[in-house]
Amino acid sequence: MNHDINVKKTRLNCFRQSKVPGEFMLQMRVPGGMVDAKYLENVKHIAKTWGDGNFHFGTRQTFDIAGIKYENIPAVNEYLEQYIKEVDAELCDVDMDTVAHEPQPWDPKSGYPTIGARNITACIGNYHCICGNINTFELARKLEGIIFPSHYHIKINISGCPNDCNKAHMCDFGIIGVSKMTYHAERCIGCGACVRACEHGATRVLSLNEGIAKVDKDPCCCVGCGECVRACPTSAWTRSEKPLYRVILGGRTGRQTPRTGKMFLNWASEDVIIGVLKNWQKFSAWVMDYKPEYLHGGHLIDRAGYKKFKELILEGVELNPECLVAEDMFWHETEYRSNFNVKPIEQHHTAGPQA
Amino acid sequence: MGYTLNTAQANQVLAALRKDYTVYAPKRFRNQGRYSATDVIRYDEVERWEDIVWDVKSDYPAKEVLTPIQQAIFYFTEDEYRESKGPKKPILVLARPCDINAQHVQAKIYAGNGGYTDLYYERMREMVKFALMECPGGDDTCFCVSMGTNKTDDYSLAVKFSEDGAQIQVTDDAFAPYFEGQPEADYTPAFVEENELKVTLPDLEDKEVRKALKNHPMWKEYNSRCISCGSCTVACSTCTCFTTRDIIYGDNPEVGERRRVTSSCQIAGFDQMAGQREFRSTAGDRMRYKVLHKFHDYKARFEDSHMCVGCGRCTHRCPELISISATLNKVSAAVDEIKAGQAQQ
Repeated sequence: MNHDINVKKTRLNCFRQSKVPGEFMLQMRVPGGMVDAKYLENVKHIAKTWGDGNFHFGTRQTFDIAGIKYENIPAVNEYLEQYIKEVDAELCDVDMDTVAHEPQPWDPKSGYPTIGARNITACIGNYHCICGNINTFELARKLEGIIFPSHYHIKINISGCPNDCNKAHMCDFGIIGVSKMTYHAERCIGCGACVRACEHGATRVLSLNEGIAKVDKDPCCCVGCGECVRACPTSAWTRSEKPLYRVILGGRTGRQTPRTGKMFLNWASEDVIIGVLKNWQKFSAWVMDYKPEYLHGGHLIDRAGYKKFKELILEGVELNPECLVAEDMFWHETEYRSNFNVKPIEQHHTAGPQA
Repeated sequence: MGYTLNTAQANQVLAALRKDYTVYAPKRFRNQGRYSATDVIRYDEVERWEDIVWDVKSDYPAKEVLTPIQQAIFYFTEDEYRESKGPKKPILVLARPCDINAQHVQAKIYAGNGGYTDLYYERMREMVKFALMECPGGDDTCFCVSMGTNKTDDYSLAVKFSEDGAQIQVTDDAFAPYFEGQPEADYTPAFVEENELKVTLPDLEDKEVRKALKNHPMWKEYNSRCISCGSCTVACSTCTCFTTRDIIYGDNPEVGERRRVTSSCQIAGFDQMAGQREFRSTAGDRMRYKVLHKFHDYKARFEDSHMCVGCGRCTHRCPELISISATLNKVSAAVDEIKAGQAQQ
C-alpha cells in the first residue's frame, strides 16, 4: 500500500486515521446526541456505500462509520452537505463561514471545516427522563454555534441532573441541570418522603422538624437535584420557574493526569453559561498565543492557572444573583507517575503572549 | 336564566362575584409538576377568568378548598384556647360533577358519622356554593359513569367554557344580579354519558368472600410496586383522613396552635398505636384497606353510594403507575376465583 496522505488534514475534516493504511472513520456531529431518526438513513447509506457496512456509537455521541477509503472521502463529504446544513447550520444556527468567530468561508462540498470543538454530548434530559431538570439537547444546540467550528478544543458534556449520567465531571466543561426548590409549607403533611429521598439519593440536607412536623433544609449542601419534588405526594416542593446550571470544570481522562472536574459555577443561569462559553475562544487563543494546537481545554486552564482562567472567562459576563463562583480550584489528579510535574524548566508549558 | 359571555364579559361577572364571594377554581402552576417542565393544576383563588383551567382535569381535587391540607383548628395560651375563624366571605367553587359529588361523600363522613358533626367542615360547607363546570369528557383515567357520579343538580351556576368565553346557566336567584345587563341565551349543562374507561365493580357482598380476599395473594404485588407515598389519597376527591398536630410557638410550650393536617392510610405509620403496633404493615395491606374502603366499606356503612367517585386522580398522580381500575379488575378476578373455590367445596 503506497499512500501519501496528510492524516492531520483528514482528522481536521473529522475523518480519523485507521490502523489499515488509507482507511478512515467518519465522525458525524450530533449536538446533544439527539437528531431526527430520519438521519439514520444517511448513516446507513454512508456505511453501506463507502464504509465497511457497520456503524459505531462514538464515545462522544457522534455517528461513526469506519472503513472509508481515502479516495472516497470527497464523495462522502459531498453527501454530507445536506446533513451538516440541516443539523449544524439550521438546527443549531451555526455560522459555518467562521472559524473561532473569524471569517473563513465554508465550502459546503468539503465536509466538516474543523474537528474542534468536539461534539457536545448530553443525556436525554427532561425531554424524557423523570429525574432531568433541563432540556439537555436544546442547550447543546444553543451552545454548538458558540464553540463550533473552531480549532480550539473543548469537550462539553451536559447532564440533565446531578446524577450526572453523562459525566459532566469527566470533561473540560461539564454542565449539570439543577433547580432551586421552593418549599410550600402549607401543603406539607410532614410525611417525610422528601427527607428519605434526600437521604437515600442526595446529600441529606432535609430533616423532619418533629416540633412543627415540617421539613428543615440545610441549604449549604443542596445539589439541586429535585428528588424532594419527585418524592412529595402533595407538591409541597416545587422547582424554580427557570432551570439553573452547575458547571464542573477541568475534568479529563488521558494517559497523563486524569482527574475529575471541580465545581466552577453553581446556580448559574442559561445566560451566564452562554456568556462564559462566548469567552472560550478568546481564552484559548490567549493561552496558546493565538496558535491553536490539538490540546483540550482542561490543559489550557492548567497552563493559565485557574485565576487567570476565571478572569478571562468571566469578562463581561453578568452573573445572575444566585450564581456562585469558585474562588479557587484544587483538582486532584491521578498521578500515574509521582512528581509528574517536576521536570527541566525548558519542558514547562507556557501561557499567554510569548516573546 | 342563561347567558353567553365573551371573556371580557365573563371577567366583569367574575369581578362582581369577587366582591361578595371568594372564587376558587383550578389554576395552572407552571413548572410545579412532579417532573421538570411539567405543570400542576390545582385549586386556588381566581382573579382572572383566563386563569381558570377548564380543558383538562385538575391534578388535585376541589376538596382542597373545603378541607385544606393544613388548617388551624384552635390557638392556645396556658389554660385558654380560641377557635380558629372560618371563612370570612361566602365561597364559590367551580367544580366538575365528580368533585361536587365527592363533597356529598365528604359531608357524610364529616357531618353525621357516629352522630357527630365536624364543626370545621360544617362552617365551611355552609359558606360554599358550587358553579358546575360542564365536563368536556375528562381523560382516560375517569370512570364517573361507572360510579354514577357523572351528574349532579347541586349547583348555583353551570358553566360551559370555550376558548372565547362561556355559556352560563343561573339556577340560584341569588346569583342573578351579578349577570345584570349581560347577553342572555339559553343554556343547560350536558353531562358525560360515557367514559372511555368502564369499571365493573367486584361483588363483595359475601362476608366469606371478603375474608378470603383479605388473604388473597393478589395484594402481594403491591408490596413491591407501591412505594406508600400517599399521592393517591392526597389526590383523592373523597379521602378525609387527617391527623392533628400541636405546634408550639417559640420556646414557650404553653402557647401555640392545634392544626389539622391531611394524612394518608397509605403512608407507613398511619395506623401505628402505642407499643408501635400496626394493623397494616405492608404496602399490599394498605392498598387492600384503601380499595375495600372505597368500594365496599363506605357503602356498607352509609348505604347510598360507594365512596369512590371515579375521578381517576389516584391513577393520574401515582408515580409508580398503579391504576385503580386495573386493581379493581384484579379484585374481580380474585373474587371469581374465590367463589369458584367455594362452589367446589
